[in-house]
Amino acid sequence: MKEVVGIDAGSATVQDAEHLLGRLLEEVLGRTDAMVACTHFVRGERPHVALSVTGVDSAALVSLELGVASGSERSGPPELAAGAALAAAAFAAGEGRAVIYPGVSGLVGTRSASEVLAESAIEEIDVMGGGVASLVHTRDFVRPEYVNGRLVLLTQPAGGGGVVPFEVPNPTPCCADH
Amino acid sequence: MGHHHTHDHDHPHSHENVEPSDATDAGVPDEELSPSALSRRNLLRSAGLLGTGAAASTVLTAPSTASADTRSSSSGERRAGYLWLAGDHHIHTQYSSDAMYRVIDQVRHGNAYGLDWMVITDHGGATHARIGVDKVNPDIRAARDEVRDTLVFQGLEWNIPGAEHATVFVHPGRHEVGVLKQFENDYDGSVKNASDNTPANEALAIAGLTFLKKQVDKGRVDDALFLANHPARRGVDSPHEIRAWRDAAPGIAIGFEGAPGHQAAGIPEPNGGGGGRGFYEGSPSANSFPGYPLESYRTWGGFDWMTSTVGGLWDSLLAEGKSWSISANSDCHVVWADTAERGPDSNFDLNGRYNDPVHNGTILTSAGDFWPGFYSRTNVGASRQSYAAVMSGMRAGRIWVDHGHLIDGIDVQVRRAGHGPSGATIGGVLRVKRGAAVELVVTVDLAQQPNWAQFVPRLARVDVVRGDVTGKASDRDTFSAPTARVASSFEVPAGAAKRFSFKLSLGKIEKSGYVRLRGTDGKRTATGLNGAAVDAHGPALDVVGDADPWNDLWFYTNPVWVVVD
Repeated sequence: MKEVVGIDAGSATVQDAEHLLGRLLEEVLGRTDAMVACTHFVRGERPHVALSVTGVDSAALVSLELGVASGSERSGPPELAAGAALAAAAFAAGEGRAVIYPGVSGLVGTRSASEVLAESAIEEIDVMGGGVASLVHTRDFVRPEYVNGRLVLLTQPAGGGGVVPFEVPNPTPCCADH
Repeated sequence: MGHHHTHDHDHPHSHENVEPSDATDAGVPDEELSPSALSRRNLLRSAGLLGTGAAASTVLTAPSTASADTRSSSSGERRAGYLWLAGDHHIHTQYSSDAMYRVIDQVRHGNAYGLDWMVITDHGGATHARIGVDKVNPDIRAARDEVRDTLVFQGLEWNIPGAEHATVFVHPGRHEVGVLKQFENDYDGSVKNASDNTPANEALAIAGLTFLKKQVDKGRVDDALFLANHPARRGVDSPHEIRAWRDAAPGIAIGFEGAPGHQAAGIPEPNGGGGGRGFYEGSPSANSFPGYPLESYRTWGGFDWMTSTVGGLWDSLLAEGKSWSISANSDCHVVWADTAERGPDSNFDLNGRYNDPVHNGTILTSAGDFWPGFYSRTNVGASRQSYAAVMSGMRAGRIWVDHGHLIDGIDVQVRRAGHGPSGATIGGVLRVKRGAAVELVVTVDLAQQPNWAQFVPRLARVDVVRGDVTGKASDRDTFSAPTARVASSFEVPAGAAKRFSFKLSLGKIEKSGYVRLRGTDGKRTATGLNGAAVDAHGPALDVVGDADPWNDLWFYTNPVWVVVD
């Protein structure tokens, strides 16, 4: 595994963490085709979500109000620095929910499973409840998971054939008006 | 379907003590008593005034429970000696910030759709705790008076600190509001800002259950019950929390929803909202239990993964030899294809409720709920139609649930082979000597008339699930039960008209265990998550956005226990 930076702003949800990631990539870190960025859950007294990002220079982050962990270096508020370290360690151990990974920008619309495997870093496509994926309706939102270092996309059957990623882009929030 | 019994209703709001003679009536077994009546009886016992008996912490020490006497009664048809009363313990009204109907709207619908009992469970929260919990009570009492043959409990949908929602409800009485209000103000996760999954919040949940138990022990309310709602929806009810609730308030924390409400939520667009059945469509969060597989975030045959998985979490609880019940409810907020909306000029925060709903003619295809009684039923074996008897029946585990009125009824008997007609029924315990031959006798009353979707459901298969009682879980976070499996399956012959019966030898009993039943219309099945050897034809994953609730019907019963002396 290459050098990884952990980042923790105490984001409450994965959506918040992804929003933070987007801003950091746009305004501070820059984005490369080879980079991988994941979300990681930080459990304990204040459950929240932290990030790991590969192939970036953490120096630009140190001035921000964030927890940052890179190698043995820590910066920012102690609790957040600890969360950042946890995220970096989890990625190094082959875990994480991938938001940015090679080929993600091509995973839009409907793609065949073989195209997904050939053109992105995703190494395996599983179908919940059994079955084999042929067509993947990406819904432009594909968040595979690292499982023991392998990037696996869990999908579920879609109404009308094919599969969709397990993670729904906009799930009905708890206690929404429904 | 519908009501074909007459009721001798008590109206507990008009006098303080309901069924005061139960404690001294030897014809009423301990398990039939409300906790306060039981404590009165125990007082009399310790004074040498009554016979002996002891409450059991596990089935291993429980006395054998024969079925109640099978004399017919004026209250309608009994099965295994009990009236099986259909109900729903998870219903919202205009006093919930995400719902809209009046109490009487829900009660009239529930009554029309065949419910004998219902629990009004508006969401806990700041406004509800301040005024809603008070203001809903007169509406509930008026509904009790107006609709005489459906019992209406007041409850609450508790935001369990550190976890999901739960139904909490109490026996009607002078202090029903006082107890619920104090409980909500002191222990609701939303009111107390205690939603995160932290040790402190888990402890607050236990304190809440302990408070409830104290109210019953003190006699402030005659009875109280807790059932966890949609337990696997967000992965936040960890196995150790469920075990802790059960153990903190035995006889009060009695179970969870085997199937969530919102069963219309998976009806495909454009006719429906095209979401996940039960609104189970989410993913893990930082508050989720990390051990749960992603399969747990979806429903299977309309049921929650904890219940639908043979050898899964529910079986792991039963393997401890402690009762844990399942239920199936509407979670009714807004009804699919209804044509009403909240009253205009509503101010929920000020009034504690929305204004009465008004007709607007727009068909709500995106709503995900059915009216109470329309689709989901929690059927409770009660000695009579009364508040106390429904609660006692639930505590005793005499519960079976179904969707779409798949069956009219079920009679389950587990008995010594060759020892006559009566044994233990659903929720009950049969005690035998090691090596005794035991058999299971089941009679299913097949559906005789169309359900509320205008078709007569056809039961295709009944499965018998067996598991061993292996004792206290050494890992409180375990959610597997290696001994549980589908032991036998019975296809219902195509020509079966009124009844489907079978007898199954359970063999010579060497170990304590349990038997539970499951049935299906057979329209959607898949190999169970623990493999074909455990469950060859289990429920299939519900497709998010394409789950027709009427073409995938199941019933589940609570277990019958067989205990080796």
